[in-house]
Amino acid sequence: MEMMTSNTETIPGFKITKSLGVATGSTVRAKHIGKDILAGLKNIVGGELKAYTELLMEARTEALGRMMMDAGQRGANAVVNVRFATSSVAGGAAELFAYGTAVTVEQE
Amino acid sequence: MYEFIDTESVIVLALILIVIVFAAFFPLAFIYSMLFGWIHQSSRAKKLLVREQRVAGVVGGDNIHTLSSPINLEKISQCGLVMTNITVSPSWWQLFIGGIKSIFGGQIQSYDKVLAYGRAEVMQRLREQALGEGWSEIINVRVETSMVMNKVKGGQQNKIGTLEFLAYGTGIR
Repeated sequence: MEMMTSNTETIPGFKITKSLGVATGSTVRAKHIGKDILAGLKNIVGGELKAYTELLMEARTEALGRMMMDAGQRGANAVVNVRFATSSVAGGAAELFAYGTAVTVEQE
Repeated sequence: MYEFIDTESVIVLALILIVIVFAAFFPLAFIYSMLFGWIHQSSRAKKLLVREQRVAGVVGGDNIHTLSSPINLEKISQCGLVMTNITVSPSWWQLFIGGIKSIFGGQIQSYDKVLAYGRAEVMQRLREQALGEGWSEIINVRVETSMVMNKVKGGQQNKIGTLEFLAYGTGIR
């Protein structure tokens, strides 16, 4: 069964049977120099910077994947109350962090 | 006649050309930003309005909301986290205007527009993703703002003004 994730405290329609602690996943990404220069040029007219958007989404997906792997190792089949945290480390590198409560759920 | 051109003079010429190009690039880019930045940004904003109307027509209202329980759906078989993001930045001209305005304080309209666009766009992407992935609604939507891609120089933030908006929620069906 596919692992369910949710940012609500309970999954509507399901009952939490066991809490298995906090599942976490994180990744640190730095930007590519070539993309950085292109984004700098795009910055002249403003608006969306696609290179950064894609980079951050890719990294966040990986953090979420690691969190789900952590939850899977605990024997959970769902992660509830997922939160994201973002911090800039140094020199344009960003840490993307996802955490939530690993639980087992069953349908009501 | 070419034998009179030695390598030294070629190198000097190339260096002079590079200096001229670099000196001309920044003022030209600034003028370009002043003239064409708003055209670029308002065309994006218009496209966004069209997309919003199209999704509203398909769904018949809105398919995302911030409540923690579903409104329309009775029985839920599956749920999953849905997230989208966008990175926006003001143009050089807007940064310049904002810099001047921030001396006197008050509302800075040039930043206002960029932030309003970014937030509206990220919400619209969430709606479109919900339609694309087949979620009937997205509950508990949150929008976060962060300044992650800025350079940090000597403890002080270098002001590029790059902002990231992240919208996420729980999709249910």
